[in-house]
Amino acid sequence: MSDRIQRSGAGRGGSGVVGAFVARDLRGDLMSAVLQIRDLTLGYRDLTLFHRLSMDIAAGTTLAVLGANGSGKSTFVKMLLGLMDPLSGSLIWPQGRPRDIGYLAQMTEFDRRFPIRVRDLAAMGAWRGFGYRTGLDAAARDRMAAALDEAGVLDIADRPLHMLSGGQLQRALFARVIMQDAPLILLDEPFAAVDQSTEAHLLSIIRRWRDEGRAVVLVVHDLSSVLDYCSHALLLGGQEATHGPVNDVLTPDRLVAQGYLSESQASWMFRGTHSTAEHANV
Amino acid sequence: MYDLIAEMWSFAFMRRAFVATTVLSASVAPVGAFLVLRRLSLAGEAMAHAITPGIVIGFVTAGLSVMSLLVGGLIAGVGVAILTAFLARRTILRSDASLASLYLIALAVGIFILSAAGSAVPLKSFLFGSILGIDDASMVLVGGVATVTLLAFAVLLRPLIVSTCDPVFFETQTRGPWLVDQGFMLLLVLNLLAAFKTLGTLMAVGLMILPATAARYWASTITGQLILGFLFALSSCWIGLTLSYLFPDTPSGPAIVLVAGGFFLFSAIFGPLGFGRRMRKPSVSKDIPIAQIQQEERAQ
Repeated sequence: MSDRIQRSGAGRGGSGVVGAFVARDLRGDLMSAVLQIRDLTLGYRDLTLFHRLSMDIAAGTTLAVLGANGSGKSTFVKMLLGLMDPLSGSLIWPQGRPRDIGYLAQMTEFDRRFPIRVRDLAAMGAWRGFGYRTGLDAAARDRMAAALDEAGVLDIADRPLHMLSGGQLQRALFARVIMQDAPLILLDEPFAAVDQSTEAHLLSIIRRWRDEGRAVVLVVHDLSSVLDYCSHALLLGGQEATHGPVNDVLTPDRLVAQGYLSESQASWMFRGTHSTAEHANV
Repeated sequence: MYDLIAEMWSFAFMRRAFVATTVLSASVAPVGAFLVLRRLSLAGEAMAHAITPGIVIGFVTAGLSVMSLLVGGLIAGVGVAILTAFLARRTILRSDASLASLYLIALAVGIFILSAAGSAVPLKSFLFGSILGIDDASMVLVGGVATVTLLAFAVLLRPLIVSTCDPVFFETQTRGPWLVDQGFMLLLVLNLLAAFKTLGTLMAVGLMILPATAARYWASTITGQLILGFLFALSSCWIGLTLSYLFPDTPSGPAIVLVAGGFFLFSAIFGPLGFGRRMRKPSVSKDIPIAQIQQEERAQ
């Protein structure tokens, strides 16, 4: 108990402390940083979401972003995409800002009545490479067939979108992200509306991205097995941002301190682990 | 019947009207398709009203010339489009409410000036169009707008498709997403002005929306949507003009739009994406019915 008060107190005093710890932690890492975030304060004019976050997003890592509603998960992703500016702090791209950042928005925002086929949706991932008059060249067509195949939608590639189920649409959108071929990939709650088998399938794609040395940022909406695929976590909430290896960040104390879980939820979820004993003592 | 058509064809103003609306169809069809796909069908109508004061002021100050129509309409239309975007960005109002507010003001201004200017104004042809009004200058206007529109679509088509299909994704892909939005609005205003003489301010949008919504019931691809929309628009114009000739007191605008409405109803009933799907034999396909999409959309 006293441990929790101390840690949350330190965090509130300045999340920079946590950030500095993480930066040191990653210094020995051989993986090169795709993006370095320094002293980042994010928010809107009358609302600060969190203060002074410093962290690296390294190639070949998968970062889970968690937080209660309104803690700034989607805002963080928008900021990474360059759609909004931070209140202060900076983003440093050691290898230059990528030409394209892979991005998958929440599926609820998608208009499924739009009259295109699955393969056209996937091709959209590479649309900037098209000429004004020419479409995909032979190499890109091969790449697209492979992407559709990996996402599991090759057999329905000629279907219009309105004939797809939610899971099929999400697979098609994953094919588009594959076509983007980006070193940094941002996925905003990609499993919120898909069934377990689709989730497992899509996770295997994320694992391939990680193995290829791409950096994947995954906004997740609950504590689930998805976190097993993530090397790092960024927990937002209570105007704080805590970053580090998954097991260091997602402790019951942290999750309660930043308003992600209530104490009773935490003790139920983490029952049988080390910290339950602490809670039991309290 | 044949005699009537031969007689109709012998009039220069009718031949002129057929040529003008043929070119007009090619121009407004793609604009209409994207109005519908971008969920701006009603915004198109609002914009048609919004350009009214510009046309009226141009008319009152410089007479009913193509130049006054173009300049006045462009200023009013682009002004309203920019103000709408500004209000939607900086205030609590969404763009539909912003546009509704602005077009109502604009329309009131237009009608006020029109009434104050007195009876010299041919109100009926102003609101509903007149095939008699298509002079050489109007032909040049229609041709010019069609050229600009088709060239713009040649360049803008892909960005427009991406931004329409997935605006959030498109925003991450480009530095100036507003360029496509505002560029499209400009094309809309230009086409409304081109359609003004034949169709009038009240009916101008009809030739854009109805062929596009009718095509929507048949086409599952953008290409199909564009081609079919053009064919519906063209047929509406030709049949509508003929009707307008057969019934001499009818303005051309409502006649053309009525035919387009007929295509729409036919498509809604028989098109595979309308009720037509239900009229076929029940299939064992795994297609998701429209009803299920609607269900899921409500759930969100």
